[in-house]
Amino acid sequence: MYKGFRSESFTAWAFMAPGLLFLAVFTFWPIIYGIPLSLTDYSVITETKYVGLDNFTRAFQDHNFLISLWNSLVYVLIVPVIQIISILMAILVNSRIPGVKMFRAAYYIPVVTSMVAVALIWSWLLGNNGVVNYLLLKAGIISEQVSWLSTSSTALYVLMFITMWKGLGYYMMLYLAGLQGIPADLYEAARVDGAGPLRLIVHVTLPLLRPHILFCTLISVMGAIRVFDEVYILTKGGPGTSTLTSSVYIFQKGLEQFNFGYASALGLIVSLMVGALSVLVFRLNRKGGVNSY
Amino acid sequence: MGTNRKGFTVSLLLTMSMLLAACGGNGNTKGTPDAGSTGAPGTGAEATAAAEPVKLEFWTIALQPTFNDYFNNLITQYEGSHPGVTVEWKDYPYDAISQRLLTSTASGKSPDVVNLNTEFASQLGSKGALLNLNEYLTDEQAKSYFEGIYNSTVFDGKAYALPWYTGTEVLFMNKKLVEKAGLDPANPPQTREELVEWARQVHEKTGAAGYAQQLVSKLFPIDGIQILNEDKTAAAFNTPEAEAMITQIRDLMKEGVVLKEDADFSKQIQYFSGEQVAFQLSGPTFINFIKTSAPDVYKNTIAVPLPTGKANLRLSNSMNLVVPQKSKNPQQAVEFAAFLTNAENQTAFSKVANTLPSSKASIQDPFFTDSDGSLEAEAKVASSQSLDKATDYMVGVPSAADINSALARGLQEILMNGADIKETLNKVEKEVNNIISQGS
Repeated sequence: MYKGFRSESFTAWAFMAPGLLFLAVFTFWPIIYGIPLSLTDYSVITETKYVGLDNFTRAFQDHNFLISLWNSLVYVLIVPVIQIISILMAILVNSRIPGVKMFRAAYYIPVVTSMVAVALIWSWLLGNNGVVNYLLLKAGIISEQVSWLSTSSTALYVLMFITMWKGLGYYMMLYLAGLQGIPADLYEAARVDGAGPLRLIVHVTLPLLRPHILFCTLISVMGAIRVFDEVYILTKGGPGTSTLTSSVYIFQKGLEQFNFGYASALGLIVSLMVGALSVLVFRLNRKGGVNSY
Repeated sequence: MGTNRKGFTVSLLLTMSMLLAACGGNGNTKGTPDAGSTGAPGTGAEATAAAEPVKLEFWTIALQPTFNDYFNNLITQYEGSHPGVTVEWKDYPYDAISQRLLTSTASGKSPDVVNLNTEFASQLGSKGALLNLNEYLTDEQAKSYFEGIYNSTVFDGKAYALPWYTGTEVLFMNKKLVEKAGLDPANPPQTREELVEWARQVHEKTGAAGYAQQLVSKLFPIDGIQILNEDKTAAAFNTPEAEAMITQIRDLMKEGVVLKEDADFSKQIQYFSGEQVAFQLSGPTFINFIKTSAPDVYKNTIAVPLPTGKANLRLSNSMNLVVPQKSKNPQQAVEFAAFLTNAENQTAFSKVANTLPSSKASIQDPFFTDSDGSLEAEAKVASSQSLDKATDYMVGVPSAADINSALARGLQEILMNGADIKETLNKVEKEVNNIISQGS
């Protein structure tokens, strides 16, 4: 038994090795290396000096960084919205109506489309003379053109919407897999007890999807805080600092202004924040926390 | 399990302490030119034989494959007159060159001659990553470039870049819209005030806006507002003049005379192509984009010299050649850069690339004085004859990229987000002073 386990685990490690090696070189090592870097003023091009915790004290006095943290936290607001909509979508495409496969594919297309393409398409749609303004003007919802991405009151929410639009299909697929793992006899038993469609969702579907909800919430919280592509392509953090998210700010500080030491410190702070939020998500999802039975 | 975890923690701590020890030795070897290497380089006319074979690595931005023939020919010419020197030419996309330069510098394989824009050259120069070319150039060489352009990368009397090809802005006008507004394109506006009046009239009569612009730091120097003080030690833009300038832009945006938008170049092309604006202020490269995106608008477009602001100067947008501090062959590198940017070679490059030269002698060439009436030729003559007034707006500004982004963000806060002008200027002033004091 023990011997079998040994050879089995060896096989497992052997299969994981290539991926792990890749992760070690391109993910774990940079993360570890970021810690000592954050204590220096490393910029590649000039002499490196040890600066102790200066980068961290500077970070908390850096008005733009604090704004970027706040914006990243605001971005997390899309998490529950994405989860609720994608669960509903999964329930819809899990039914046996004809043509449902087409819908599944259609909802999934944005997920496999490159973010650059998605961002560019939305920038045209949302342009001053774009389709969005045209339709809203025609419908009388707005009275004059709105520069969706250049107006501070709308830019961040528009970006959140784009992130959501692209991510929905992905979470829908995960939930669909979860739904298809729920035994049909549970539903039948509930129906026999007189449960309607809503009660089925609340008392059977949602409790049994709990592990999936935990996983999806977790990765979407991380994704929301780390959001980069759409923000960088569409607004670069502007206008002003209204859409400056932490990833974009770290990128600008590091790769545009060569303050790698400072950028590493900011990266560590954000990583700790993501870690804390992940713990929070786990806590909230603990059994016995919210009992829906 | 417990011991495993302990072992892991110990090894992680060890790794970290080793890293901490290692990062002290990161890139500390300052490449100083060899003693006695401060002789003035030749411009390629006379041969300077290298004692040992020297291989120069030369990087450009987005010039291959279009200009392969031009460069290969020059390189062959140079190698012929400099026995023992070989030049290896590499070309990178605009977005990639800074990353490449950083990674190669970090790995100790610095290139010798690199093509950079002024902002990036200033950023690197002020961080001490580039060679001071004044130690290598003769007075005559330094004076052969337009002063305003040459001085844009000079700090503390140290010249960090040789100006190369450049462009200055001209005013493109949509003739149809201008005439519809009852204005005469044959007598174009000469000053910013006149341009604003024209834009207002276009807006009133045609409904189109005057122009779109990007909210960047150059708006300050156009109106004669210095970004930094004389000795570049503090911000100097927080003045009543700056408040007036920003107030005016804000009012024009409210009126619809200027588009309320932070429009980058690609957006500006869209607006001009769609005839939503009548004017466009930009370099001659704009023509190619209009030609492909809106041929009808292209046929209706004319180019005239750019109306000047209060400062009565025109801004250039230059490419430079720099020699990284860590180049192993500084002497030969400077010689090669000087050879590429001498008047003869710059004139030849302008002819193949349709750019402007930064060397004074070049614009005497008929290529820059005669026009065949086409939009391209008009734009070329208009812009080349204003080169003597041209200056790069980041003249000698250290950490230019950081300061630019702080100013741009401030302008966006005010003009797009409706923030208070004075309050925002105070905030940005503080931020810029921080950038200067931190040197980062």
